[in-house]
Amino acid sequence: MQKFLGTLLGKSIRLAVSFRPNGGHALPGLVVDRLFPGYLSAMLKQLPEGVIFITGTNGKTTTTKMVVKLLEGSGKRVLTNSTGSNMVRGAVSGLAKDASFFGKLDFDIAILEVDEASARPLSRKVKPRWVLALNVSRDQLDRFGEVDTIAQHLKFAMDQATEGVIANAGDLLLAKVATEMASKKDVQLDFFGTADKLQKFFPNDFDLAAVDHNSKLKTNHQQSLAVELEDFDGQEAKYLIGGKNYQARFKLSGQHNFLNGAAALALAKRLLPQSETSDLVAQLAKVPIAFGRGESYRFKSGATVELVLVKNPASFRQALASYADKKHQLVIAINDNIADGRDVSWLWDVDFSSLVGQTIKLTSGTRAADIALRLQYDGVKVANIEPDLNKVLSQISQQPGHKVVLATYTAMLKLYVSLNKRAEKI
Amino acid sequence: MKDIRILHLYPNEMNTYGDHGNVLTLRRRLEWHGYTPHVSYHHPGDKLPDKIDIVIGGGGQDSAQADVQNDILRIGAQLHKLAEAKVPMLMVCGTFQLFGHRFLTHDGQEVKGIGIFDAETIGGPVRMIGNVMVKSDFGTLFGFENHSGQTNLAPGQATFGKVIRGKGNSGSDKTEGARVHNVFGTYLHGPFLPNNPAFCDELIKIAAINRFGEFTPAQIDDSLADLARSNARRRHY
Repeated sequence: MQKFLGTLLGKSIRLAVSFRPNGGHALPGLVVDRLFPGYLSAMLKQLPEGVIFITGTNGKTTTTKMVVKLLEGSGKRVLTNSTGSNMVRGAVSGLAKDASFFGKLDFDIAILEVDEASARPLSRKVKPRWVLALNVSRDQLDRFGEVDTIAQHLKFAMDQATEGVIANAGDLLLAKVATEMASKKDVQLDFFGTADKLQKFFPNDFDLAAVDHNSKLKTNHQQSLAVELEDFDGQEAKYLIGGKNYQARFKLSGQHNFLNGAAALALAKRLLPQSETSDLVAQLAKVPIAFGRGESYRFKSGATVELVLVKNPASFRQALASYADKKHQLVIAINDNIADGRDVSWLWDVDFSSLVGQTIKLTSGTRAADIALRLQYDGVKVANIEPDLNKVLSQISQQPGHKVVLATYTAMLKLYVSLNKRAEKI
Repeated sequence: MKDIRILHLYPNEMNTYGDHGNVLTLRRRLEWHGYTPHVSYHHPGDKLPDKIDIVIGGGGQDSAQADVQNDILRIGAQLHKLAEAKVPMLMVCGTFQLFGHRFLTHDGQEVKGIGIFDAETIGGPVRMIGNVMVKSDFGTLFGFENHSGQTNLAPGQATFGKVIRGKGNSGSDKTEGARVHNVFGTYLHGPFLPNNPAFCDELIKIAAINRFGEFTPAQIDDSLADLARSNARRRHY
């Protein structure tokens, strides 16, 4: 009964709020979850192949997208929370939208992107079949608490897994809690990771924060890997899976996506035991770019702009590794809204020395001055400070050339909206 | 060569809130003022170096705090001697707490400190999180706090400053931080020193006078810090 009533209620509220210009996507979920706390669990129990969680600090959205593509490529009907609303309420809202009027879900499996803070409440409601844990690193400590706390949230979700867990072997904290979990329970534990020589490109939280590497926590995993990223060059990535080599030329750029690809392949191998690995790798290469992960736009003047999300030291470092190149003109936009994190001290955990000798064209956002101050102490020059994001695009669209905007979440959303009005997506 | 030696306590364990930024800021400003900075890192079990001009400590996770506790008790007497010798020190958040007498955690465990500050900390039920503005002898100080420990100063223990906006030591008495000789404790990160360059130069001045008997400041362009500070003054959250 609650499946029917909950769905009807959710759809009605969704219709009611659909006339509002800004969002309201989570409202149906809020109301339905209050009135029918068992709704989410009852709905998802219908799915013959269960529910999968993808969680971690960085790479959730892209990895979820990859896994969904791989499953759809094998003919599965996949339910996912693709709107970026990855909280419990968002998930409930999404279900009410996707279900038939009688509360029936015409899907085989759900692949859910679960943020760190939701891992605990969501896994209380729904037991995942598999949990894919990507990484834990310091991110919005004012919201999520300490890194250890985040790892405990993820462990709680892992403890609920009915079939198994897939974890990043290079993330020592995560590998440790996953191993503890597997020693107590009769579930599978698979690892994905990189070849030793690539470790330096994928620093974990400890590597990022430590001043030297004499400590016992030093990265060097011992586990055998279900999927290993062996090497990469440009858009090309090489994987070692079950003793065999595979090669893919990615549509996505950024080296971190090759590791996300390893994670997605490890999960797909479990969910699609019948599929040929070579087919999965070929499908993976075709996955397009997710929101805020390197989308490009062209202005009438010919100038092009690429948007890149930076939200914590790990993702900022990845962005610098991919874009700190003298050919690009860089803009950095830092906001301190709640979704970005009020505390911007994390900017000091990013090493900007790769930008020395370059001039940052512009800093923007509510913390435009703070990022310029940060850059001053690494000896990086900033040509202009413009806190008003609305003025950024007029400034950078005038002269031709390629500009890369590194932006925090709400700064990116704002730029994204104006870019879609004023420029052509390429 | 005018060498100034910085000792950074527990950089691998106590580094949660951009604390390396304090050391980077000291290092750069020392260079700009004409000194040669040397940074040494103190890890649990290490011997303290012979010459120390400035000591810096950061904030850590609760688990890390337990790890470093034994070590700080081991070197406590030496830190007391440095404090009495007027060596400037800045202890932020977790190390500020360990520089008091003790920390009583929320679940009733006692973590002993080294008692340079006449203060003790009690684990509180809620975290105090947000931007802070403080009035001090060194002008207005800006930073960000994120702590559940409530620190109570004993009568007669000098504060670092008075809270204008934010919570401070206990969330109720408007005090922020503590000072004994030239040892400063604070809950402010952000990090603290780049956002408060006048105070950073005060630490440098004390260290330079201790070591060389005089300090002649250079002109530093702090217009970006001034801009960040004037924004912080208008930030009511």
